[in-house]
Amino acid sequence: MSLTVDKPVPEQPAGRAAAGTGRRRWRPSVGRSIVIVLVGLFGVWTLWPMYWMLSTALKSAKEATNLSPTVWPHTITGANFHELFGGTLPFSTYLVNSVLTSLIAAAVAVLISTLAGYSFSRGGYRLTSAASLVVLATQMLPLVVFIGPLYLLLLRAHLLNTYLGLIIGYTTFAIPFGAWMMKGFFDAIPREIEESARVDGYSRLGILFRVVVPLSVPGLVTTGVFVFMNSWNNLLYPLTLVSSNSRQTLPPGLLQSFSGTFKTDWGGMMAASLITSLPLVIAFFLVQRSMVRGLTAGALAGT
Amino acid sequence: MQAALPKATGRVRRRRQRTRWFDWMTAPALIVLAVVVGYPIVDAVLVSFTNYSLYTPLHHYVGGVNYSHLSNDPVFWKSLQNTVIFTGVSVAVGLLLGLGLALALERLRGPWRFLRAILLTPWAVPVIVTAFLFEFMFTNPGGIINSLLETAGLIHSPLPWLTSPTWALTAVIIANVWMQAPFFLLIFTAALGGVPDEVIEAARIDRARTWSMIALIKLPYLRNAALVGALLMIIQNFNNFPLIWAMTTGGPAYGTSTLVIYVYQLAFTSFKLGYASAVGVVWLVLLMIITSLFIRTLRSRPA
Amino acid sequence: MAAITLTGVEKRFGETRALRETDLEIDDHEFLVLVGPSGSGKTTLLRLVAGLETLTGGEIYFGDTRVTDVDVGDRDIAMVFQNYGLYPHMSVYRNMAFGLRRRGLGKQVIDLKVRQTADLLHIGHLLDRKPRQLSGGQRQRVALGRAIVRDPAVFLLDEPLSNLDAHLRVQMRAEILKVHRAVTATALYVTHDQVEAMTMGDRIAVMNEGVIHQLGTPDELYDRPADSFVAGFIGTPPMGFLTCERIREAGTEQLRAAGARFRLPPETVTALPPGASRLVIGVRPEHLRLVPPAEAEAAGCALQGVVEVVEPLGSEQHVLVAMGGSAITAKLPRDQRLNRDDKVAFTVSPDHLHVFDPESGRALR
Repeated sequence: MSLTVDKPVPEQPAGRAAAGTGRRRWRPSVGRSIVIVLVGLFGVWTLWPMYWMLSTALKSAKEATNLSPTVWPHTITGANFHELFGGTLPFSTYLVNSVLTSLIAAAVAVLISTLAGYSFSRGGYRLTSAASLVVLATQMLPLVVFIGPLYLLLLRAHLLNTYLGLIIGYTTFAIPFGAWMMKGFFDAIPREIEESARVDGYSRLGILFRVVVPLSVPGLVTTGVFVFMNSWNNLLYPLTLVSSNSRQTLPPGLLQSFSGTFKTDWGGMMAASLITSLPLVIAFFLVQRSMVRGLTAGALAGT
Repeated sequence: MQAALPKATGRVRRRRQRTRWFDWMTAPALIVLAVVVGYPIVDAVLVSFTNYSLYTPLHHYVGGVNYSHLSNDPVFWKSLQNTVIFTGVSVAVGLLLGLGLALALERLRGPWRFLRAILLTPWAVPVIVTAFLFEFMFTNPGGIINSLLETAGLIHSPLPWLTSPTWALTAVIIANVWMQAPFFLLIFTAALGGVPDEVIEAARIDRARTWSMIALIKLPYLRNAALVGALLMIIQNFNNFPLIWAMTTGGPAYGTSTLVIYVYQLAFTSFKLGYASAVGVVWLVLLMIITSLFIRTLRSRPA
Repeated sequence: MAAITLTGVEKRFGETRALRETDLEIDDHEFLVLVGPSGSGKTTLLRLVAGLETLTGGEIYFGDTRVTDVDVGDRDIAMVFQNYGLYPHMSVYRNMAFGLRRRGLGKQVIDLKVRQTADLLHIGHLLDRKPRQLSGGQRQRVALGRAIVRDPAVFLLDEPLSNLDAHLRVQMRAEILKVHRAVTATALYVTHDQVEAMTMGDRIAVMNEGVIHQLGTPDELYDRPADSFVAGFIGTPPMGFLTCERIREAGTEQLRAAGARFRLPPETVTALPPGASRLVIGVRPEHLRLVPPAEAEAAGCALQGVVEVVEPLGSEQHVLVAMGGSAITAKLPRDQRLNRDDKVAFTVSPDHLHVFDPESGRALR
């Protein structure tokens, strides 16, 4: 046992300490101005296309196709939206189909991802890490590689041209990332809370649904929104697995509608785009903050 | 402190509690993935050795013919080249933009955080809408982009954005960057939040200035986020179907045909499922190599 | 209400042995404290008794019932966690009722029990609050309430006071003992704080590196530590140790170290192994008496050295004294004014000397 008391204190370089006072005061500088200009430019680049969508959607057909485009619409009209829902285009059918399949896919995928994500988070089984890696790996597989065999599979199961076929496709596509997202949210729940519930006599499922799930509502919603967004964006599955117009979703439906002779109906196209975007953008803003957490958890999985 | 054995034990039974192998909670996810992904993948590999075509259900084993044909297929090589350019440029530009913005916007407080949320919006815009938007803005004649560039005096005659093979690829990449830069902003913002305050404060005490703070303190913390984000986006862009298909369907003259587009066209336009599968398998192998390289880099991170 | 018996209990995590084969008997209604530094296996032992970990060897009994393979929820235990483990989404009332509901009790019975317990802990006015609206001390009471409301046979506490500030900790120590008396469950209490252990435990088990070094009452641990680890762990400031040479001269035996000389009474010498040539002497700081050098020369057991650090503590002072290669701490009244580099001399009564084997650390008397 020995103890040293006086450690030699390194001498303070005098003078330098005084020079730094007041340095942190806000002051316009060249660097700062450049940053502000660059951020502003990026803002314009980000917002301009969205403004352009809105502005064109509100223009008359004649103005929208004008060869020298007008930044502000001369006359604001709702004709394009009218045409979408009242015209020959089965837009509302596509919309309903998209909403229906994406919502159900989100619900099913969240349920399955919750179970798998909880298992990955709490581990304790010998195959846990193997299973979680398998699930992670499927996320990297290119959809299109197995779309052919999947087409044949659904053909034999008589699931082509059905909501169920689409929902199965969407769900599968979403489970890997969803499970890892949920794992990230579950990892944040202290184990002591679950152990309390075990001491209180609850079973594993009881703990999951009475304690863990109520505490993970933001995570559940975020994962749900994520799956919903993915399904809503999916073009490949409905394009290949659905052929009848009455079952078609928005992406292939719109693609088909605004091709050929309607290719230049820019006003209608932008109006449809606006309505197609709204559910996603609203959902994204609602969960924006936990989406960051969820994405990082899902993305940083396996590292 | 020798404990007296309690009366109830005649003989002490030794039943070790073992760690169990499998958790049923992962079963739904694994079963769905096995049926909808596992089976089709295996099937795709098998089909790649046949002359399977959707025209004639009769098919037979043809050995490596599809694979040897592939090496002499100029469209395959063109598509591979396009895939690499599309992915590489999109990810590099998106990553740098996202990184710069995340650093510039790091100190947003209070209501200003809303600004960041707005800059994230393109990520939530449906892919099909992004495709429509940029198709509209790039259209010639009458597109706003040519119009703006001409007004600004940057070009003298309108650019053939979607009608020349080279410009079409550029146009698709620009649309892609618009959509994906926010993802990197999201990931880097989260990673910056993970830099401990103490480290920043210690660096400030050491009189680190803005640039050395970024280069020496913050960037090392962002390394993993950059790697993971890049990997995720490389995989996603390798598989990017909807944007390119909706904007150009791979044209003109295969100018924007990537591997996904080519596989899809082979399978569902030419109905050559056998050959399509062979292309898919080659590309799958490619993807796995990239992924494993990335994971190795990640694992070797400094402690 | 049950005694707890552990026989040959062992826990391995992969290659690391968190707990070596341990036998332990805890009496019915006893308040037993497990104390040790972090990584000593005390929390593992508690969690094994709770059933939160599965053991890799041995058996556990509550009373006559073998519970080794019984799941946590069926063991009739209650537990207070270090971070309380309250359910954040439930009110205090629902937190306390959650376990009762699982046991299928009627609404009225639950209500009565929750309110009685809440009154006992003075948290009756907080029943509608959520845990995040409570202060640390209030959360602590809720955690206690949730544990005792079920009237468990075994009451487990895992460092429950470590998140409270010093003042509140003293207050809650008394509170927990009061609660324990009210419920009369067998209590097992884990802490790394030896003061907490000494003030609360009926008996204390001192643990280190997965082994129980000594089990005994606070007095036993203080007066007759079984080995140098326990001797050094119990008591503040800790006991000082000096490695001494054993010298036989003119029929008497002496132990010598640089600056120290201990002439041992014959009855002590007979207790020492005859072959040992080196021994470790342990002296508690409070047993050292500051004397003039001349008086030290004459005394049987004396130490001399140079003051290195003086730590004034208000009521007393701790003085670190360098002696040759080693150092020893003395706890002295404040009126004996000392400065750095002062030469000092102490005597100590032979009754207060602890002798340890230098290799095994075992106490030789």
